[in-house]
Amino acid sequence: MEYINEHIGIGQIGNVFVILSFVFALLASISYYFASRDNEDSLSWKRIARLAFRIHGLSVIGIVCTLFVMLYNHYFEYEYVWHHSSKSMPMRYILSCFWEGQEGSFLLWTFWHVVIGLILQRTAKTFEAPVMSIISLVQAFLGSMLLGIFIFEHRIGSNPFTVLLRNHPDFANIPLFQNPHYLDKLDGRGLNPLLQNYWMTIHPPTLFLGFALTVVPFAYAIAGLWKKRFNEWIKPALPWTFLGVAVLGVGILMGGAWAYEALSFGGFWAWDPVENASLVPWLTLVGTAHLLIVNKNNGHSLLAVFFLAILTFVLVLYSTFLTRSGILGESSVHAFTDLGMSGQLLIYLFFFLFLGLFLLIINWKYFPKHVEEDGIWSREFWMFVGAIVLLVSSFQIMFYTSMPVWNKLFSLNKAPAKDVIAFYNNWQLPFAFITTLLIAVGQYFKYKNTDIKEFLKKIVLSFIISFALTVTVIFILNFDKPYYSILLFSSIFAAVANANYIVLVLKGRIRKAGSSIAHIGFALVMLGILISTSKKDVISRNTSTKSVSSLGEKFSDDDNIILTQGDTLPMGKYMVTYKGKRIEGINVKFDVDYFSKDASGKLKLEFSLSPLVQTNPLMGNVAEPDTRHFPSFDVYTHVTYADLAAAKENNKGTQDEYAAAKTFTIKKGDTIFSSNASMIFDSLSTRVDKKRYQIDEKDIAVQAYFSVNDLKTSYTTAPLYIIHNNTVQPLGSKIEPLGLQIVFTKLNPQNGMIDISLQEKKSNTHDYIVMQALIFPCINILWLGAIIMAIGTLLSIVERIKK
Amino acid sequence: MKKIHIIGIVIIAIAIGAIFTTLNNTSTYASFTEAAKEPGSEFHVVGKLNKGKETVYDPKVDANIFTFYMVDNKGSECKVVLHKNKPQDFERSEQIVIIGKMQGQDFQASDILMKCPSKYNDGKPTANN
Repeated sequence: MEYINEHIGIGQIGNVFVILSFVFALLASISYYFASRDNEDSLSWKRIARLAFRIHGLSVIGIVCTLFVMLYNHYFEYEYVWHHSSKSMPMRYILSCFWEGQEGSFLLWTFWHVVIGLILQRTAKTFEAPVMSIISLVQAFLGSMLLGIFIFEHRIGSNPFTVLLRNHPDFANIPLFQNPHYLDKLDGRGLNPLLQNYWMTIHPPTLFLGFALTVVPFAYAIAGLWKKRFNEWIKPALPWTFLGVAVLGVGILMGGAWAYEALSFGGFWAWDPVENASLVPWLTLVGTAHLLIVNKNNGHSLLAVFFLAILTFVLVLYSTFLTRSGILGESSVHAFTDLGMSGQLLIYLFFFLFLGLFLLIINWKYFPKHVEEDGIWSREFWMFVGAIVLLVSSFQIMFYTSMPVWNKLFSLNKAPAKDVIAFYNNWQLPFAFITTLLIAVGQYFKYKNTDIKEFLKKIVLSFIISFALTVTVIFILNFDKPYYSILLFSSIFAAVANANYIVLVLKGRIRKAGSSIAHIGFALVMLGILISTSKKDVISRNTSTKSVSSLGEKFSDDDNIILTQGDTLPMGKYMVTYKGKRIEGINVKFDVDYFSKDASGKLKLEFSLSPLVQTNPLMGNVAEPDTRHFPSFDVYTHVTYADLAAAKENNKGTQDEYAAAKTFTIKKGDTIFSSNASMIFDSLSTRVDKKRYQIDEKDIAVQAYFSVNDLKTSYTTAPLYIIHNNTVQPLGSKIEPLGLQIVFTKLNPQNGMIDISLQEKKSNTHDYIVMQALIFPCINILWLGAIIMAIGTLLSIVERIKK
Repeated sequence: MKKIHIIGIVIIAIAIGAIFTTLNNTSTYASFTEAAKEPGSEFHVVGKLNKGKETVYDPKVDANIFTFYMVDNKGSECKVVLHKNKPQDFERSEQIVIIGKMQGQDFQASDILMKCPSKYNDGKPTANN
């Protein structure tokens, strides 16, 4: 069949770029390999290699541009475009669509490698050939992830250009594709509503740049082993590694900020496998960076630095495997889908792991054997210990996160424990304590050996100040957890000692203070995490909840509270009112006012929040919290349940109808409640004025008397139970001012119990929301710390490059 | 003994500790029948919502109680009392994981994970008018 208006040409162009990028990456790798051999041909090989890598780079840019053109013009005949975008989606989300899918995110990763490679071509000098040979090889592997071709019935890669929607196996036999004009009628699925915010625009490129930067120390380490230049690679790899530390660190925290601001996790870090997968390589990268410094200063820790540099890159690949293979299954809320690429990813992972280990082992004999040990009072010794602590910490995280992998490998059946977060926190706290303590004292140690008296003299002031500060903070915040207090102290100590170092030792020379500033930033991040997490206060406690604590600790989960429109309930120091909802496009916003109460009991409006639910019939509704930021704390508000269906009905003018009846079985003296009144069952009577109710004289009639009270008025009402010709024909009664109707449906003469059914007008049932309100104290210290850490690291990189 | 050896031993000790506590600090995927055999212990049960039976969430009575019927992967059905709010889009869930323990005839769940493949994958190309 001929299809009308399909743009097949642009896909073919894209495909050409994909193949070119793969072939030229391979060519660059091979020619750089020959260029790295010191002979007369190496120069001409280098020329070929440089050109090949540039063509590879241009092809990658070509792929990127082609995909953008297709997204921009809504070429839904391509599966990728149909899957990730739609006509109604604003163009500012085009970047988000671009990297929403696996192909797009691999493309982003590849793109950053190209940028890094082009810079290294100019700067790596004698290391250019071996380093670029490795990076080009990585590029060839990543490029093959985009090939989308079949070799012996195995699909290699997944290509955004070849998969036409009408050829997609899932959509075979869809009648739409019998129509040659199907494109005129087609719209894309659109971007997942969860991802329609600016975080999705800035978080992935930052994170992937961080991931991409780990290739530099890896490639240098491999090159160092390969060319037996065991110490020479350290210096050029250093600034790159620290850049990776800064960028990946910012990327991870951006993910946390996104989760906190726009997703409904109820916090910024949940130890979710996907989060862990990005944290672990960062930890080992930080270890690598510090060991590089150690080695640069005295040539020690060589084996460890090779090992960590290789491990970090392999861990990035492992993270990609974990998050992209679908193996996390039930243990993660992030559902990335398997594109059948996990086998390919595993091959790459093992290839680079074994390449690294192989080179390490064959070069083992060249490593200096009888190095004199680092003295216990030397800086390098404690930096080494710090790197090892980071390694052990990342091992613990990775081992637990990999539980689904162990399940699969060893046919286990283990699920994560009920309180994963507490488990991780308890394990990681000692590591964080040692790390922050080392950060505090580290710079006061000198390389080789430290005069311990001098050391104590310099550090004592910071120690005293930190101790006093810690005690003050414990009192102000009512910090009642001794286990956490030691981390509180060590984090404050780290911040104070490094600040003091800038004043005392560096005499305020800021340009030299990069590492101290970065360390202050890290200490503040830890402080912010510690305080905001451990003093997090759920102020929306539902006091009416029945006790379920007998079931276990976790069952005291009563963080949700119902707020009826117009009601004002106390939450923490606030009085909170739900004002009502409004519909803005696809968003339903719920306006919640926070009041403070002064001494005379008067309410004063402090602020309003509008948490929302984004309605999306195709992909499901998504709730987004709203947070009020104060310098010292945040008030976080999140709607966990709202009856959106009722909201629509209320707008349709069915207010006068009665809602579904509720049935009660009661005896004399019982009270039942409607939403607006209480009703006491006073008495039963058989003396019924039958004429008044037009009841047949032969019928049996019983009348139930209720006194009904709302807050202002009292009413009496008396529904009738009538047996006419052996059938029950009750006669209900109404209380019009309250919009109530009672029907007397059953009488049990033995025990005097009666059944009544109660109906209320729909206008009675007020709108309500179920919400959570949380206070996160000092969370701004966390974000501030992140920025300071990044600035400090960049400062130290600039200083190092200048040297 | 060199310092490096001491560090090595400490690392190995911590790593073994991490492995063992991790393996101990896990729950087990189980069916309702298996969970009923050990009423005190916590299980993860994977299954599907029984869409034929009613789900009850009345926040006016208790915003933190939600009951529904679930069929586990082995096919047995059980009433589940979730001590949380009703999750968004609950009816659309394709697969549910509940975490909790059996008590009497009911499964008391403290937490729930839902997989809605529809959010990410589902949806076929359809003509729009």
